[in-house]
Amino acid sequence: MNTNNNVYTIVYTTIVVVVAAAILAIAAMALKPKQDANIKAETISQMLTAAGFSDKDALAKLGNDQILAMYSGNIKTAFLIDKDGNKTGELETDVNDIELQDNLKVENKNIAAGNPSLPVYVFEKDGAEINVIPIYGAGLWGPIWGYIAFDANCSKIVGAYFDHESETPGLGAKIKDEAWFREEFVGKEVNFAKPDDSFDIIKGGAPKDDKSAVDAITGATMTCNGLDAALDTWFKAYMPFLQKKAGAAAADDDACCGGACGKECDGQCEHEHNHQEG
Amino acid sequence: MNEDLKKTLLNPIFKGNPITVLVLGICSSLAVTVQLKGALVMALSVIIVTGLSSLVVSLLRNSIPNRVRIIVQLVVVAMMVILVDQVLRAYAYSIDKQLSVYIGLIITNCIVMGRIEAFALGNKPIPSLLDGLANGAGYGMILVIVAFFRELLGSGTLLGFRVLPESYVPNNLVILPPMALIILGCIVWVQRSIQKDLQEK
Repeated sequence: MNTNNNVYTIVYTTIVVVVAAAILAIAAMALKPKQDANIKAETISQMLTAAGFSDKDALAKLGNDQILAMYSGNIKTAFLIDKDGNKTGELETDVNDIELQDNLKVENKNIAAGNPSLPVYVFEKDGAEINVIPIYGAGLWGPIWGYIAFDANCSKIVGAYFDHESETPGLGAKIKDEAWFREEFVGKEVNFAKPDDSFDIIKGGAPKDDKSAVDAITGATMTCNGLDAALDTWFKAYMPFLQKKAGAAAADDDACCGGACGKECDGQCEHEHNHQEG
Repeated sequence: MNEDLKKTLLNPIFKGNPITVLVLGICSSLAVTVQLKGALVMALSVIIVTGLSSLVVSLLRNSIPNRVRIIVQLVVVAMMVILVDQVLRAYAYSIDKQLSVYIGLIITNCIVMGRIEAFALGNKPIPSLLDGLANGAGYGMILVIVAFFRELLGSGTLLGFRVLPESYVPNNLVILPPMALIILGCIVWVQRSIQKDLQEK
């Protein structure tokens, strides 16, 4: 048979491509549940790392089930808020049926459109609440995202974790790889006075007394600018919620310190303070 | 015939090693050899891709229209690579996250297309399968040797377990790509001093 015939060539290549596509489609469908479970465990382990329960590398060695169990065991509540910071719905936290609001790309668009449905994950660690929120934005080559953990009244950041899809290894990828960069965020605050630019990543070093800025990474200017914009956008979207939390905590403190429990309150404040420094 | 098969299987491991003798697939051998585990997974992936692609192309060899043979080969190779990537994503997610860029680049790994063009198109399926597997293994072997030294000296560990005492200060140069090239050069040196006929005048 003449295999160089035009009709033969076209029919042959068509069949090869269709067969290959069919095989890939079947494989993708068959493996999808397993892959989704991996992605869910990955998302949860990023949150647990940000909240300080474990370390990403240590979690990678655990199985998916153990990661989900650790999440369920430590979470207090998870819920969705609207753009005004009002609770609109609960997220299931039971180990067999964990719900996450992890399509951050869609929410990023919704923030711009003004109708986001944002998740807040409230963990409990050593008797204190830790509020974990996601951030999402564009790096140099692809999306970057992360989780920021706040203390009980959302006044101070207690941890952060960032990840990326395709930032340059050794440069932009350091937002994920370098522990010192994540640790810079600990103890920082969101600047409520400047809602449009509430956090800065400054090239050449952040001023020591600036509580809402960290140092950028050398050689990763574009990635850091993207992360800066992502933080500003998402902190702004969460601002009503964060302010409400901070306001409520301030009111609580006033009531407590002025009232009968003044003695205990001192102790508590000091404890809180030490905890954050350590 | 049996002798031929044996030669097909053993030649790519040492005498005709794809990396040290044919100098194919250098870039990925520099990139994925920081840790032994990643190198092992990469080696296994390449073995599977080279073996199965050679087998499939060999089965199709008499029906492939000559004018579009490269395209058909690429479709087969790309399909195998995507399958490997999908399976890793389902069963070894953390390794897939580390390696996914390089797994995708197996498609462009010269060893795969090189063996299909040079061997699978002109040979029966079983020898082609063996040739593909052996070339993948030859590639993988070098990868594992390089990774062994880089992880041992660069992190003081092997497969993540600490081997050298805590007092050993990890050599950061070994982690960087240039050191992979230097180790690779040493392997080529050792091989050529054993096998004199490879030396160029």
